[in-house]
Amino acid sequence: MIDRLRFVLMETWESLTRNATMQAAAISTACIALILLGGAGMALYKLDATAQSLPGQFEANVFLKMSATREQALQLKAQLEAMPEIERVTLTPREVAWEQEKQKLAEDVNLADLPNPLPDKLTVRVRDPALLPAVAERIAQSPLVEEVIDSRKELQTVMELSRLVRWIGLGAGGLLLMASLILIYNTVRLTIASRQREVRVMALLGATLRSIRLPFVLEGMTQGVAGGALAATLVLIAAAFISDYFVRQWPFLRDMPPGLPPYIVIVGLPALGALMGGLCAWWATRRHVHI
Amino acid sequence: MVELKQVSVVYGEQHALRRVSLSVEKGEFVFLVGATGAGKSTLFKLLYGELRPTEGEVWVLGQPMHRIKPRELPYLRRRMGIVPQDYPLLPRKTVWENIAYGLRAIGYNESAVRQRVAQVLALVGLNEQARQMPNQLSGGEAQRAAIARAIANNPPLLIADEPTANLDPDTSWEIIELLMRINLRGATVIVSTHNRAIVDRACQRVVAMDRGQILSDVPRGGYPIELDRLHATVML
Ligand SMILES: Nc1ncnc2c1ncn2[C@@H]1O[C@H](COP(=O)(O)OP(=O)(O)O)[C@@H](O)[C@H]1O
Ligand SMILES: [Mg+2]
Repeated sequence: MIDRLRFVLMETWESLTRNATMQAAAISTACIALILLGGAGMALYKLDATAQSLPGQFEANVFLKMSATREQALQLKAQLEAMPEIERVTLTPREVAWEQEKQKLAEDVNLADLPNPLPDKLTVRVRDPALLPAVAERIAQSPLVEEVIDSRKELQTVMELSRLVRWIGLGAGGLLLMASLILIYNTVRLTIASRQREVRVMALLGATLRSIRLPFVLEGMTQGVAGGALAATLVLIAAAFISDYFVRQWPFLRDMPPGLPPYIVIVGLPALGALMGGLCAWWATRRHVHI
Repeated sequence: MVELKQVSVVYGEQHALRRVSLSVEKGEFVFLVGATGAGKSTLFKLLYGELRPTEGEVWVLGQPMHRIKPRELPYLRRRMGIVPQDYPLLPRKTVWENIAYGLRAIGYNESAVRQRVAQVLALVGLNEQARQMPNQLSGGEAQRAAIARAIANNPPLLIADEPTANLDPDTSWEIIELLMRINLRGATVIVSTHNRAIVDRACQRVVAMDRGQILSDVPRGGYPIELDRLHATVML
């Protein structure tokens, strides 16, 4: 069994070292394709997490007029709660909001002596995001209400960004993936051609088709794994630099949810590479290795 | 052991074999003679399943090669020693590795490989050349190495396609002697050649082919005279 394994690995090694240029071409295309896919994947994950962390498609903030009394605020709250579209309403009294604000900014400015500029706020949660625009519009008509703000705008921006990333990442990554599949297929095909004698000798000596094909499939998998490992390294380094840059530009980004855990990239890209390399090498042997 | 029944092989338009029937019993030594293009290699490829007949039946070691399943082919080939006409040895491996390669390819473990390689190298007389590369060997040594690899698994049937091509008469005779020695140890041997001198000298069964057909089949004969005449007419 061990001798068997050693034999197969020796054969694979011989294939891999036969034509360095072709190997480099196959590995680097696989690498670029996986960089795009991996990068797009990481960006999408981050954007998704960001979208989910936004107050949500379900909520709107209703700011009351400064003139509205607490009693009126509670009345409005009760009215809104009676509406069937609305699931829940919470009141944030202006003094509570002000305390929070003062604490948040305590390090930078002293707001202690200023009068409270904040109005009472109702946070309205609807049962279905589709209902939010209509509900927001109706609430805005109330004479007590100064402004209704929902986060659909921000959400939309994030969504658009993520759509863009998806198209570019998956589109370009997909095209390059095809290219790298073709390149790996071709490298393996050329290796097969350069090893015709070995294939024929093995076949005539009675080696099984599977054992003749296996080294070629392993060659393809190795190319995929090498490309994937390279891609994972580059993607993670790039991601670290990019997020560092953005955080320095806009410190509030520090509060964003964390991105895709690195180990998924480290394991995922080589695994993906192995899968695609192995598959197209297997396909090449099916077409070109016969006994 | 080997039986061809009304076998024809057609490559495109060309008939490589035309309704050939042939039977070889266990333990026989058979020369297959004929000019280049007579169909000797084609007949051999049928025997080891590299080619399917267009028509007819091919039975080898009790198995129907004309309808053998690809899955079963490897196991059958392990019971045949095959010395192909072209590229008998892998050029980048030593003689020792060439023989070992075949044994490893069919699942021998390392200690069995070492033992078998030593045995067959001794049998064909190549102990000295074990570490040499194929391009360092003489033509006769290369043929003996190819034969050693073919018989490493101790097959009951040995098929050698023109092992004496491009060899001088003495070396050719050494190769034939080696094949006859393997035959005496029990293997059925079929060997193709167009070397008249060794066929005459060996005094074994001779099957003569011409343009895809069997011309004559003599139990203990020499190179058939009529084949020479045919060569002459073909030349003209
Ligand atoms: N792969 C092939 N395609 C087409 N014709 C072939 C092929 N192999 C052999 N032939 C033809 O079949 C005939 C027999 O060839 P072959 O069996 O190689 O003869 P031999 O071994 O006796 O020299 C020849 O005319 C040859 O040209
Ligand atoms: Mg021939």
